[in-house]
Amino acid sequence: MALAPLDESITLDQLSSDPYPIYRRLRAESPVLRVAATGRTLLTKAALTKAVKENPELFSSDDPHTPMKPAFRAHTLMRKDGQAHFVERKAISKALTPKMIKTDWGPLYEQLAEEYVARLPRGETVDLFSELCGPLAARILAHILGIPEANDEQMQRWSQVLIDGAGNFGWKPELFAASDAANDEMDALFAALEPKRRAEPDGSAYSVMLNADDPIPMSQIYSNIKIAIGGGINEPRDALATIVYGLLTNPDQLAEVRAQEAWDKAFEEGIRWVAPIQVSSRRALEDTELGGCDILKGDTVMTVQASANRDEEIYEDGENFFVFRDKNPHQAFGNGPHHCAGAHVARRTVGKIILPMLFDRFPNMTLPDPEAVIWKGFGFRGPINLPVVLN
Amino acid sequence: MIKVTYVAQDGTATTIEAEEGTSVMQAAVSNDLDGIVGECGGSMMCATCHCYVDEAWAERTGERSSDEEEMLEGAADEVTERSRLSCQIRLQPGLDGLVVHLPEEQL
Repeated sequence: MALAPLDESITLDQLSSDPYPIYRRLRAESPVLRVAATGRTLLTKAALTKAVKENPELFSSDDPHTPMKPAFRAHTLMRKDGQAHFVERKAISKALTPKMIKTDWGPLYEQLAEEYVARLPRGETVDLFSELCGPLAARILAHILGIPEANDEQMQRWSQVLIDGAGNFGWKPELFAASDAANDEMDALFAALEPKRRAEPDGSAYSVMLNADDPIPMSQIYSNIKIAIGGGINEPRDALATIVYGLLTNPDQLAEVRAQEAWDKAFEEGIRWVAPIQVSSRRALEDTELGGCDILKGDTVMTVQASANRDEEIYEDGENFFVFRDKNPHQAFGNGPHHCAGAHVARRTVGKIILPMLFDRFPNMTLPDPEAVIWKGFGFRGPINLPVVLN
Repeated sequence: MIKVTYVAQDGTATTIEAEEGTSVMQAAVSNDLDGIVGECGGSMMCATCHCYVDEAWAERTGERSSDEEEMLEGAADEVTERSRLSCQIRLQPGLDGLVVHLPEEQL
């Protein structure tokens, strides 16, 4: 066999502005492709991305040289395998189970969503992305994590700075300086809140981790919260904006979603169509083979779930937003041991609470100029603005 | 091949044949069965493959591990003493004919 073909024409700019035509071509022509601009072997078919994610013994999440380390000032669970990952994951996931979210937290999320939706002005053009999607995602997350003392601006800024640092493959010092400053702010807040979260257990992630029978070390409790901040705002924010866009540009589907109260289906379709986290990396621990190409020990493969989610072998007309698909086995939350820990939170808050509330309060919401919406991102993707008229 | 029957809440029963060593979750997912999601692929990380083992089979499917127990606590539907994560039940000849019941919801 031979190594995967090498592409030197695809640019990061192209992947960031509109990767979907490229992925469509790759699925047809070269589903395993070394893309020079990314320094990775891109996998664009659903069977390949799933197989890699579900085989952590062969494809490791551990990257000893990840910029995530300096950005988070920790080796986080995202980049650990096996038992080391499992222990840290279990510590936080107890605060994120479907039951906890539904029974313990549901009423609070409803109330927060009410507050944020109620302050939107009626009859005006509003950028829903910056006025609702981001701040509400930040507020809900702050409560889940047990740090509601952090304000929306801080939560969103920390999140972005952590993400920028984690993606700082060019090792630019200014990005790590920014993440250092954010880490200082977060560490100070966590330390200040610790006594209270210990003394008054409240089911939040911080409190659950602090009060566990066999708690993980403080450094890991901190890094778990930071991972959730870095990974828990952009995704629900982008998911919400994407779904609202999908529904407003497909009024017939919106009408049917309303009639059937199929908001959960709309949620699943939105994140299939444009997955908020588009790609992930895994490192081969042995020489192996994928889709007829050699993968060498040490190579980093990139699973492109954005592409897997439109794979013609699974989806008819996968390029388009269509809520009422028979089956929707998308990979937007990933697969395998690193399957998104926030999946249940996202489904409940965005799919069951925010979407129906938003369309109930503003039944005649419109998107006057869909062309004005700008989509961006290779690693993370979504609209970066959403100018709607609320009525 | 080993047979497993999945009974939905409305009583619909679906029987699937799978190879020995396959999990009850994998058998369902690879046959596109509604009612078992199994999003994490069997890593005990998502609690979306919850099932209730039929009373007649309860002893033969074994005990749940403490990790499974903890994950189950978070399942969307009611957890009973017969609740299992179907990814943790491996099919073997002694389980031929196994019957499991599906919860109302997994998500």
